[in-house]
Amino acid sequence: MELGRLTPIIFTLASRNLFHDRIRLIATLVGIVFSVVLFTVQLGLFLGFQRMVSTMIDHASADLWIAPADTKGFEATALLEGRERFRALAVPGVADVTPVLIGFTYWRKPNGKSQTPVFLVGTSPGGLQPWNLVQGSLNDLSTPQAVAVDRSYFDRLGVAELGDYGEIGDKKARVAAVTKGIRSFTTTPYVFMPLDRARAYLGVPSASATYFLVRTAPGASVNEVRQRLQAALPNLEVITSEEFRARSRSYWLFGTGAGAALFGSALLGIAVGTVIVAQTLYSSTKDHLSEFATLRAMGSSRRYLYLTILWQALLTAVIGFAIAAAGSLGLARLSAESALPIVMTPSLIVGLFALTVTMSIVSAISAIVVVTRVDPVTVLAR
Amino acid sequence: MTEPVIEATDVVKYLGTGAGRVAAVRGVSLSLTGGELVLLMGPSGSGKTTLLSMLGCMLTPTSGTVRMLGRSTAGLAPERLADLRRRHVGFIFQSYHLFPTLTAVENVRLALEMSGERPWRAHAKAIGALETVGLAHKVKAFPRELSSGEQQRVAIARAIVGGIAAVLADEPTAALDSANGHAIMSLLAKIAKDPSRTVLIVTHDPRVLPFADRVVNIEDGRLVDKKQDGVDAHG
Repeated sequence: MELGRLTPIIFTLASRNLFHDRIRLIATLVGIVFSVVLFTVQLGLFLGFQRMVSTMIDHASADLWIAPADTKGFEATALLEGRERFRALAVPGVADVTPVLIGFTYWRKPNGKSQTPVFLVGTSPGGLQPWNLVQGSLNDLSTPQAVAVDRSYFDRLGVAELGDYGEIGDKKARVAAVTKGIRSFTTTPYVFMPLDRARAYLGVPSASATYFLVRTAPGASVNEVRQRLQAALPNLEVITSEEFRARSRSYWLFGTGAGAALFGSALLGIAVGTVIVAQTLYSSTKDHLSEFATLRAMGSSRRYLYLTILWQALLTAVIGFAIAAAGSLGLARLSAESALPIVMTPSLIVGLFALTVTMSIVSAISAIVVVTRVDPVTVLAR
Repeated sequence: MTEPVIEATDVVKYLGTGAGRVAAVRGVSLSLTGGELVLLMGPSGSGKTTLLSMLGCMLTPTSGTVRMLGRSTAGLAPERLADLRRRHVGFIFQSYHLFPTLTAVENVRLALEMSGERPWRAHAKAIGALETVGLAHKVKAFPRELSSGEQQRVAIARAIVGGIAAVLADEPTAALDSANGHAIMSLLAKIAKDPSRTVLIVTHDPRVLPFADRVVNIEDGRLVDKKQDGVDAHG
């Protein structure tokens, strides 16, 4: 027996009606694809932005962060004096306290004529160090003037390969290691170097740091250690990595309005898609009104009529989503090396599918209202 | 005497509201029993379609009662009326009203699956119904691939499939030529031989008179006696 024969006729009717008018189907699919791709790109940019904002926090080896009071995000550049480290080390449950120094400065290109702002990250083993090294090694950073930069910033820094030089202030800086994919959401290149060299390049006192990364002793409660640290350092903030991540994201995404703009565009995409699908389903239902009246005359329940429309909506959603998801994945792949990559996660894809289906079902409401009013007697008059 | 399949008693139906309110049917009593083919005849605007709508459970009377297999339709909600139609009434329309995107067998299956029949079982029954109307060789044809007469046969198969008790036809031969009209009426007359099934045909077409067991005439919403050759002319 043919498989098609086993398909419930309601699905056959709905899908044939849908495919019967191909122009209308294409218009509907274009609407859905446009809407879903726009939404996906905006949400993917949001996720990408979110990930970039917290990338340093994500890659730091820390249970707790000791930070200047009112720190809004990782890029804050207020300084800690340095003696806090020893107070922290004296707190029970603390295994290690590693300083990190960050700061904005300028990189003079090798041609000596132009300069560009850079974000220095002074690192220490066991704390925050560059990752995704594609050339050179962490050990190479211990050599004189050595720094690590990301390959994507070569043009900005005026360098072309390992061993090229630039200047920070009046000091030479040599590219000794190259990373891949460590990009800053501010578009200012990160330049990694050992902590002491960073202090020298930024001209800050020798013990100072921006943060202290705390690792707790095995078996110690992070929460309890945090409370003790906070008591020992009342003028500073002691926060978990999770809190710091959330705070940074919240500040940059919502404090600056960037996230709201992305969300706004995403919602606009959904609204446009819903209107297009609703309009198409409505006009399709109007065109097939005599068929719905015939169904009603034959004794069809309203539920059966609604299911026919909903199945059409669902089918449209699935086809539209498949095209849109493929397009979005392609865009995500193309943007992977860009300044602001579009991030597609499995949960985002699942969420988008649910959203597309919801959008189509909501769109079906206008069509359902039309068939609710259909009068079976009209069939007899024709 | 067998119980009527449909029984209308002193049925009145007003249509419209306010100044436009008219009495489309005025005190009609009519009984349709199994095994008979009844013609409902009358001029345009006489109330034929309104009466058919009430007998087919599409409309409820303003007053009086319509009983379908003994059950009154008075006060039933639209969903309950639809349920009665689905289980007991098969309609045949003047312009067939087949679903253009479905094949012949799928059109017939639709009537069964609406009632909850499983697809494979509905398919077998639909094939059987199409065999009954002489279309076993056209089960996979779409309506556009069928002649007018064949399309009406599919509509008949759809109306009778599933052991429907009342087949109500609205001008079933109006769009057909003489030969096809004759063939369709022969088929309906054969279907009406089943003692569990009644067939009511609304028509203007005098060519169908020879097929009738009984003719009911309606004028201005009332049944009237008219002399018809060779058939009973009573409500």
